[in-house]
Amino acid sequence: MHRGVGLALALASACGAASATTTFDVREVAKGVFVHEGRTVALDAPGHDDIANLGFVLGARCVAVIDTGGSVRTGRALRDAIAQHTKLPICYVVNTHVHVDHVLGNAAFRNAKPKFVGNATLAAAIESSRRYFVEHYPDDFDAPASADQIIGPDTTVASTRELDLGGRTLQLRAWPKAHTDSDLSVEVPDAGVLFAGDLLFIDRVPALDGSAKGWLAAIDALARTNAKIVVPGHGPVSHEPATAFAPERRYLQALIDGVRKEIAEGKPIDDATVHVGQSEKALWPLFDTANAHNVSRVYQELEWE
Amino acid sequence: MDIAERAAYVRDDVRREQRGPLMPRSKRHAIHLAAALAFATADGIAADAPPASGGAWQMLRTHFYGNREFGEVDEAFMHVEAPNATPDPSATPVSLRFGKDAIGKVRQVRVIIDNNPSPVVATLDVGAGQPIAEIDFRVRVDRATNVRAIAETTDGKLEMRSAWVRAEGGCSAPPTSSGEGKTGDVRFRPGDDGKSLQVGIRHPNYSGFQIDPKTGDPIPPHYVSQVTLMSAGKPLLAIESGISISENPTFRIVSEQPIATPVTLEASDSKDAHFSATWNGGASKSVAAAGGMR
Repeated sequence: MHRGVGLALALASACGAASATTTFDVREVAKGVFVHEGRTVALDAPGHDDIANLGFVLGARCVAVIDTGGSVRTGRALRDAIAQHTKLPICYVVNTHVHVDHVLGNAAFRNAKPKFVGNATLAAAIESSRRYFVEHYPDDFDAPASADQIIGPDTTVASTRELDLGGRTLQLRAWPKAHTDSDLSVEVPDAGVLFAGDLLFIDRVPALDGSAKGWLAAIDALARTNAKIVVPGHGPVSHEPATAFAPERRYLQALIDGVRKEIAEGKPIDDATVHVGQSEKALWPLFDTANAHNVSRVYQELEWE
Repeated sequence: MDIAERAAYVRDDVRREQRGPLMPRSKRHAIHLAAALAFATADGIAADAPPASGGAWQMLRTHFYGNREFGEVDEAFMHVEAPNATPDPSATPVSLRFGKDAIGKVRQVRVIIDNNPSPVVATLDVGAGQPIAEIDFRVRVDRATNVRAIAETTDGKLEMRSAWVRAEGGCSAPPTSSGEGKTGDVRFRPGDDGKSLQVGIRHPNYSGFQIDPKTGDPIPPHYVSQVTLMSAGKPLLAIESGISISENPTFRIVSEQPIATPVTLEASDSKDAHFSATWNGGASKSVAAAGGMR
């Protein structure tokens, strides 16, 4: 499942920045559909710039990239991996949402002059985040870190949009506020592959920056996919789309139910962050780093119901 | 602009709420320091005084308390509780807990976050004789800092406690705008025993450090500045607050005795909008925004 990850981690500590290029694995999950699985490490751990799943899809005419990683160097490693599989030009770079681990590699693709594609809300979300990214992840840019290395979309999706790669079409769908306020899923219908972005976390505790209720609605819609293979934003690729979303759904529902109970009992937000979701603790890697944050967000969402 | 000019510029934004600090992005990193200074200058400290190392505390201490001495030992008197590593920098929970010797004897508590761009979070005036055991609220924390509470007792003594909080980016975090409702809606949420009451006011409470995604420039500050709570006609808690209070300002009071009803809320914001609401007891109550809004 995670072949190569142990080696990658070992090298990450030994070689630091160079590791992304020396151990960058991509796997062909369906004909012409490639996935790089990110590492399950914390946001501030070595290798944090390579925690997201990234992908690329080959058409007859050109290539679409789906998310580019948490640093310019991860983006370059992906670009180099693509070059080993095709000489076709890269015509689209699609971002599934605003988070740093999915977008910071965009700069590595600038010279290829692709269209950068995202949810209609992504440009605004990136604008709001530029300063934060530069201040908090300076080592993940080309030195010196600068906001102009963060590339937002020039092509946007308000509800759905198709991208033609030549003999193959990608179906993009923009979602209302869910994991974030800029989520986008990508389906490759002829290959039966769905890139769910961070609307799906597998084996890593989901992180909420949007709306828990919106996320549940998105999950329920996505779980009806006809795809045979689902690529989560984090965690192993799933070949069982019918059940892939179930653990995440259970977790989010536990947060909503738990927070509603705390609010009804007049408990303050800090009590809720300690109580809610604990039944899920043993079931998710990196639980403690994200659960309290998630509970805080759910509380603020639900207290105004 | 030199730093004093910039400070004045930011001060105008914070104090008069006219427009955002429309400076180039590359200069924004200077705002935090400038605004810290601006806060002090707005209240009469020399504009060219250098900011004290480790945040604005020394300046503010002199400004508010002169040479008066502080008790700083007895955690049993008052305790400041905040998460050492906040799960949510833009909504960090802070609890002020008062011990037996403090309940009914604290006149005022001022809350200061040393390293925030506007360090004075709130000044809380406790109604005379109200047996308040705890006050909770949520704050924005911009970077690692002391969160201080200075209590002034009815007999004129000062007691200070603090908590250390690690955080990043709480003042500039984008608005969540989550949940339903509109500016000025008020929620009263009593605890089961009638001794606690949480009051929330739906309001963006823009800090002035959040970015307007349409322009890339800061959203001008717009925040709840005054909240007055009365319990059965007597002052319960009066709050003067600023931009360090989180979106949808929420305060929770825990009393030694059941909180007498009706509880009325009167609030105003930095654009002089007024909000009011009344809770007559019973279950949670939601009061839609009405009257007085501009």
